[in-house]
Amino acid sequence: MQDKIEGQSKGNIVMVTEENTMPDSRDGQSKNTIIMVTEGPSIPDPREWRIVNAWSIALVGAIVTLCCLAWFRPDPYRDILTFVPDGLAATFQVTLLSICCAVPLGLLTGLGRISRHRLINLVASTYVEVIRGIPLLVQIFYFYYALSGLLQLSRTAAAVISISFCYGAYMGEVFRAGILAISKGQTEAARSLGFNRFQTMFYVILPQAWRTILPPIGNECIAMLKDTALVSVVSMPDLMQRARSYANNTYLYFETYTVIALIYLIITLLLSKVVSIMESRLNYYDGKR
Amino acid sequence: MLRKFALALLALTLWCSPAAAETYIVAGDCTWPPMEALDKDKTPVGYSFDIIRAVAQAAGFEVEIRNIAWDGIFAGVAAGNYDIVASSTTITPERQKAFDFSDPYYEVHQAVIMPAGKSIAKLDDLKGKNVGGQIGTTGIFVMQKANVGATIREYDDVGLAIQDMVAGRIDAVICDDPVAMFYMNKKAEYAKKLTIPLVTNDVEYYGFTVKKGRKDLVEKINKGLKIIRDNGTEAKIKEKWMGAD
Repeated sequence: MQDKIEGQSKGNIVMVTEENTMPDSRDGQSKNTIIMVTEGPSIPDPREWRIVNAWSIALVGAIVTLCCLAWFRPDPYRDILTFVPDGLAATFQVTLLSICCAVPLGLLTGLGRISRHRLINLVASTYVEVIRGIPLLVQIFYFYYALSGLLQLSRTAAAVISISFCYGAYMGEVFRAGILAISKGQTEAARSLGFNRFQTMFYVILPQAWRTILPPIGNECIAMLKDTALVSVVSMPDLMQRARSYANNTYLYFETYTVIALIYLIITLLLSKVVSIMESRLNYYDGKR
Repeated sequence: MLRKFALALLALTLWCSPAAAETYIVAGDCTWPPMEALDKDKTPVGYSFDIIRAVAQAAGFEVEIRNIAWDGIFAGVAAGNYDIVASSTTITPERQKAFDFSDPYYEVHQAVIMPAGKSIAKLDDLKGKNVGGQIGTTGIFVMQKANVGATIREYDDVGLAIQDMVAGRIDAVICDDPVAMFYMNKKAEYAKKLTIPLVTNDVEYYGFTVKKGRKDLVEKINKGLKIIRDNGTEAKIKEKWMGAD
């Protein structure tokens, strides 16, 4: 059992692709897992020991650039840095709320996708198909403006709901793939020990699958933070909206968007490191081979 | 194959290259009716475009009008992607620092739109209310300068702000008065739903925006503006879009 798991967690982001495992075949072979990078940044390898690597170059580069700009050209740059913090708070608020909604939704969707119950399976699969086929920007417009006749959603609610719905579908696929990657023998062993299906899933399969799932989920969360930039269209005063306001007031487009790009970059790099540390904690025993 | 490709490329280049008469590219954000809008055939129409076309004809140059999103329209002219911005840009001292402007071609005030039945007497009455507007427009700047304690909501275009107000999520929208009048009177879906309780006394002037230092272009536009003002073309265009006074 341990061998299989180790085999999986070698890659940074392990995901079983759809070609490999049909939803119904529950004996996903971890040896054939294919590494698939989703839209987030790459999670740094927890076993990376060199100091100079892509991650540290990017982070140090971004921080040094930002500090230099603020120090040597305080006129626009420090102004911009003092103008945007409340936008940063809104960005984090939307991201955190969306993560809280999207991860459970993703888990439910993932379980639904591998469910034997035909109706549940159909509902979950349809949800994934529909949501993944619609751009997030369209979904945000839809929840906020198009549905305004039926639902009076606040801008935060509309932003959180549309992002959670969108990412819930993507995460559902991650959960499904992670669960399918656990060998069928685990289920059989648990069932023969008298666990029921529910117990098997929550006490045996998911704890193991979680290690495979974490990097891509972390990745999706970071991608989510980046995609919150889209909610500025519903007049949500997030980091992007603040940048646009500033640029539209001062006509300093280059300066403003440089600062904003660097801020987003620093946040995502730090978060990817956090995910990487969490991953190494989960895979603690793998290192002691 | 390669030769065919090269010939096609050459043909395309020739086809795209400017004609003999000088052609200037004009940018306008077609979400600001009746000054700039798209008609059913997705062609840019509106007061500003008619004026710049008439100016071009009078001053002897050609124009090609493009629909460019408002957010970033100034960055594009600064980068030289197009020559003239004809997008109801108010001449402000801040903008004059970064761009050059033609002589004024239209005079506007800021108007506050509210749902029918609501009313305010002065800008200060918006205290504590949610006021929407299009990002980077003078309506927003007026609210920021007035600093009456309202929450300012910035939308990508004024139509979205009005839609949000009709849905009940904001209390008022501020924009240029011709646009406010248009939404109140010409849009069937908003009939009897909107009211304009307040129009500010401060006058703003629209000017055509060009890249800083394009004095030649400013001169040409001003020359054309003077001609169409003298020969009555401007009055005709005004009557066409704004109705008789």
